Amino acid sequence: MLLPSDTAELALMVRDAHDRRAPLRIVGGGRWQAAGAAVATDATRLEVRRLAGIVEYVPGDLTLTARAGATLADVDDATAPHGQWCPVLPWGDDAASLGAVFATATTGPFERALGRPRDLALGLEFVDGTGATVRAGGRVVKNVAGFDLTRLLVGSWGTLGVITEVSVRLRARPAVDETWALAFDWSDEQALARRTSFERGPYAPLALRRLESRDCQALGLAADRTLLARLGGNGSFVAAARNALRNLGNAEACDASTWTRYRMVYDGHAPPNFAAALADPLSQRVRQQFDPRYILNRGIFGGRPE
Amino acid sequence: MLERPTELLVYENDALPGYHKRPRLAVFPGTRDETTAVVRALYRAGAAFVARGAGTGLSGGALADDVVLLGLQRLRRIIGIDVAARAAIVEPGVVNALLTRAATPFGLHYAPDPSSQSACTIGGNVAENAGGPHCLKYGVTLNHVLAATVLLADGDEVKLRTPSPPHVEYDLLGAFVGSEGCFGVALDITVRLTPNPEGVRTMLADFVSVESAARATSAIIAAGIVPAALELMDAATIQAVESSIYAAGYPVDAAAVLLVEVDGAEAGLDEDVRAVEQICGACGARGVRIASDPLERARLWQGRKKAFGAMGRLAPHLAVQDAVVPRTKLAPILAAIAEVGARRRVRVCNVFHAGDGNLHPNIPYNAGDPDEASRVEAAMREIMELCIAQGGTITGEHGVGLDKLAYMERLFPGDSLDAMCRLRDAFDPLRRANPGKVVPSHSCREWVGVTGRQTAP
Repeated sequence: MLLPSDTAELALMVRDAHDRRAPLRIVGGGRWQAAGAAVATDATRLEVRRLAGIVEYVPGDLTLTARAGATLADVDDATAPHGQWCPVLPWGDDAASLGAVFATATTGPFERALGRPRDLALGLEFVDGTGATVRAGGRVVKNVAGFDLTRLLVGSWGTLGVITEVSVRLRARPAVDETWALAFDWSDEQALARRTSFERGPYAPLALRRLESRDCQALGLAADRTLLARLGGNGSFVAAARNALRNLGNAEACDASTWTRYRMVYDGHAPPNFAAALADPLSQRVRQQFDPRYILNRGIFGGRPE
Repeated sequence: MLERPTELLVYENDALPGYHKRPRLAVFPGTRDETTAVVRALYRAGAAFVARGAGTGLSGGALADDVVLLGLQRLRRIIGIDVAARAAIVEPGVVNALLTRAATPFGLHYAPDPSSQSACTIGGNVAENAGGPHCLKYGVTLNHVLAATVLLADGDEVKLRTPSPPHVEYDLLGAFVGSEGCFGVALDITVRLTPNPEGVRTMLADFVSVESAARATSAIIAAGIVPAALELMDAATIQAVESSIYAAGYPVDAAAVLLVEVDGAEAGLDEDVRAVEQICGACGARGVRIASDPLERARLWQGRKKAFGAMGRLAPHLAVQDAVVPRTKLAPILAAIAEVGARRRVRVCNVFHAGDGNLHPNIPYNAGDPDEASRVEAAMREIMELCIAQGGTITGEHGVGLDKLAYMERLFPGDSLDAMCRLRDAFDPLRRANPGKVVPSHSCREWVGVTGRQTAP
């Protein structure tokens, strides 16, 4: 196992693996092990967890730069005292590393209202498959200087480079933040129509999820079928949104921590299937440019066995 | 097709004064198939080309230096609007504002709104990752493009889309948006349409110092209010606008005004308006005016959107600048820019997207006066250096093109520029599409030869 303590050491390790054509398996917080099943079994683990800590946080800018091994909990601890958050809030727990969340582009229940990793990444630093250290993007909220390596790396599952640092856009936490559980007994069509119409109406929620019995039980909700809604904004907005929600049915107030638990129990995604990306010639050319010896997470995205 | 020098004259520049490049010839295909045929013929002939939309770009990005200019403005069909999916599919030459006009009957609009929206094309917007005042809340072009069919320089067609979760493909669309015509030509583009907000409030806050307007901007953002737009105009800009046909009723004795707009559900708007008023007041605003009807709102906006045009009256030429700084640095950077302007004896007009920290310090001048021209150039260089030193970037929405090439090496280390070259090489290994733009070619390691791909050393 390789456990570098900074970017320079990590770059030397990747360079060495490149020279020896030795495959590497990139590991952040170790929370996505199942997704890594496609990676070649003879790969050496390269763990980024010692690249920890916040590099820069200026609350007034609503931006934060952290090393890839910083956990979501670390980011939350830094931003919460200033009434801010990193709005990715992805599926899984807060022990996930920031680097892995962006490398896998994992979204969560708030993606529609608060953005996906591709919308929130301002820049990053990564070490490509030859051991070169690359800075992409920047730390400001608007930036079109050069080709967009940031978008390329987000969601590339460690196959184009090992992300070592991420700069993210933060948001202020909503002044008023309410969570409501609305038990329903509508038909599937009715449920879909009502949920869609609420989401698309003027009172766009932070999230509006339909929970089936398994999730309801896991969250300790009494009903079998529940709409779980999170409403955020200023006081007048949330009051109006709450009224509109209550027009749909009987809603009960819940604690915001319900969402933290929901992110951990949710299991609605199919396991990642990289087959289409494996076959795409343009994706293969990209991979070849950044990892010419196919050492990074070989098996994912055109990981050609040699 | 145009090839006579007199016909090509109008294609020698884009909207950024100061750069002129004569294309070898200009081709204007009328259909998608013609476009494909032209690009394939160019590939066979070994000829480089530059795609061009409406030519409203502000970085010299669409200039063709003795290569073929591929004009796409005839591809202006809105192929379809899917109201239920809130999306539209368009050809690259569709004019930005005409897409919004077509979506209006359905209560929708296309959110990115560059000031040139009455002329600029969606294809050009995608190439530049264009912004605009309302991108503060709604996001830039990147956040509104869902898919594109792209013709690569070798004539191959690829379909790119925004990956949906779980994200198991490279975000090649994200890489394509903002690639300034260097990765290929979009034949069709699928964009998100945004529902029109239930309510809008437009405010004009009036300040006696630029510094207090900048502080108010930072305070509004820090308070967690997300205005739809937050624009700053300084005294030089206000006076230029007010003495033009675009006069918007801005206070001519103000040192700066903030144009602040909040939108969304009616229920929450007045609370946001009160919060903005209070913050501006606490930062020293003389007053905050709220537009009382759509007409007044349109007038307040017209002054902002036509500000570059109004500056055109002050002098024969206008140096247009675009940079971004962290939002807490706005007040010191504006003070430093004013100092540079005074020392270099140039008149800086600031009009910009303050909420994003996206500066536009523009300088009207006479390019025919060599002394003045050199002072303007020196001032611009100093301003860019200041922005870089403050942790900012050299362009927020206009692109690198030709104009910012020299700054790329100040902003990025060699390995980063080389990585950008490699990304381009995956799309266009022979570098036939928009050659010589975005990344200085000497920054690219030459281990990929033009005759074929070699393996890495």
